[in-house]
Amino acid sequence: MRTQRTVLSGAALATLVLVAPAQAAPSAEAIARNCVVCHGPKEAGQLEIPKLANYPARKMVEMLTGFRDGQKEATIMNRIAKAFTDEQIQALAAHFAAQ
Amino acid sequence: MVTTRRSFVGASLSLGATLALPNIARGASPKVVVVGGGFGGGTAAKYVKRFMPQAEVTLVERDRQFVTCPFSNYVIGGLIKDIKQITHGYDKIAKRGVKVVHDEAVGVDPSARKVTLKGGSVLDYDRLVLAPGIDFNYEGLPGYSEAAAEVMPHAWKAGPQTLLLRKQLEAMPDGGTVIIVAPANPFRCPPGPYERAGMIAWYLKNNKPKSKILIFDPKETFSKQALFFESYEILYPGMIQWIGGKQGGKVTRVDPKAMTVEAEFGEEKGNVINVIPPQRAGKIAQLAGVTDDKGWCPIKPESMESAKVPGIYVVGDACIAGAMPKSGTAANSQARNAAAALVASLEGKPAPEPSYANTCYSIVAEGYGFSVTGVYAATPEGIKEIAGGVSKAKAPPKDRDLEAAYAFDWYRGIVHDALG
Ligand SMILES: Cc1cc2nc3c(=O)[nH]c(=O)nc-3n(C[C@H](O)[C@H](O)[C@H](O)COP(=O)(O)OP(=O)(O)OC[C@H]3O[C@@H](n4cnc5c(N)ncnc54)[C@H](O)[C@@H]3O)c2cc1C
Repeated sequence: MRTQRTVLSGAALATLVLVAPAQAAPSAEAIARNCVVCHGPKEAGQLEIPKLANYPARKMVEMLTGFRDGQKEATIMNRIAKAFTDEQIQALAAHFAAQ
Repeated sequence: MVTTRRSFVGASLSLGATLALPNIARGASPKVVVVGGGFGGGTAAKYVKRFMPQAEVTLVERDRQFVTCPFSNYVIGGLIKDIKQITHGYDKIAKRGVKVVHDEAVGVDPSARKVTLKGGSVLDYDRLVLAPGIDFNYEGLPGYSEAAAEVMPHAWKAGPQTLLLRKQLEAMPDGGTVIIVAPANPFRCPPGPYERAGMIAWYLKNNKPKSKILIFDPKETFSKQALFFESYEILYPGMIQWIGGKQGGKVTRVDPKAMTVEAEFGEEKGNVINVIPPQRAGKIAQLAGVTDDKGWCPIKPESMESAKVPGIYVVGDACIAGAMPKSGTAANSQARNAAAALVASLEGKPAPEPSYANTCYSIVAEGYGFSVTGVYAATPEGIKEIAGGVSKAKAPPKDRDLEAAYAFDWYRGIVHDALG
């Protein structure tokens, strides 16, 4: 969404706004359910991938923004983080910090 | 009926979508039936129960145990020594309050909202989730059949077929030829045939190093192609040859007696022939009337509800979900979003905005993995990828090693999320 918006022309942007109700942003809960498949709740028994429950919010924002903007190296998160806006990253961080 | 429906749906009767559905509920405990206890169905059953604890959720699964296709290539290659490590039961999901019925669904009546089981029982439903995975379209490949698969295994549903292919590799002479027949799109697990080639090469390199592998393919490109070619070159120089569509790689007939494969490019004999046949949605989808003329199930991108029959949600390999591949991770993600949409519809609310995701790791040798990933959104034109991509080319060995380790974590996580 974020990258789309930056490359769209004025006219296209108007259309995007018009169709906005159908393309409303998913909630942090809906996004977070995808994260835990790899990151796991503790019971899943992951060994290498960091757990996200109680993850410090400030650090998560720094990590995800860094991955997204190419300032932090990663094997996979750099590709995934590009999907999220600043607001979604904040919301995800708050969601996991509160677990 | 009308009174119970009114008491259940309450204020939301004004919603057109809800009105269109008959028998919305027969009381305070709506009935949800899920057919298929794989990655899609297991996840759907678990999350419907989580989102709506009062729902009566029944999971219908033919088999007592689920042998995962993910990681079955590692059993074939010997990276995983025992198929038990990828075999899972349904006891944990049953403990979560999902009623697990081991039977086969043989009929769906969408207007009466009933599912008939082979054992004779009939299940009523308010909402139905179909997650039957794939069936093979044997007629699509002359010479191939269920009987032929005992000679030329597909190993594209994990279990005895996985072990058969492994046994054939063990029995093969050094210097022999393994042929992999890859299918046209769309099919279950787009990187799967090429991961398998890598895993078989890993076994052969360590045990029968004079052997070779031919991949016959009707396609001109495939998933993570550059990464697979790079890995073959580094790990198994000269061992794996890919004959793509342009080089006549389309197989037109197989002969299990002569152990030959006839391609546009010519005929080839193999010691071991792994035929991955053309596929379509599991048969129950067709019986329920949710398939299109190509045998797959079109869905509404915002909810995973069938585009053809209201009240039925289709997730996993059986559906066509726009840009999403047919993977376990995709099935799992679709199922969680479908569960949220299904529960919202029972509550008379619109579906919450979905967030779909996919991640598929491939391991082609011990400590050598890479991935494809995607995040997807529902748009009026279908499910579109908004971010994603494949691992870096020419990445340092430590990255490949890390991604192989991550693959094992992914496996722990998805099995827990779907069936744990
Ligand atoms: C070799 C290989 C490797 C793979 N590796 C990966 C990987 O690394 N990562 C990944 O994400 N994906 C991978 N996949 C893909 C993955 O296996 C599928 O995409 C996934 O299983 C799809 O989930 P599903 O729920 O649609 O179907 P399935 O998992 O196949 O589940 C369908 C279930 O429904 C049951 N069923 C069908 N019809 C009926 C009926 N009428 N009544 C009762 N029960 C029924 C079946 O018995 C089955 O248990 C791989 C596939 C293969 C073949």
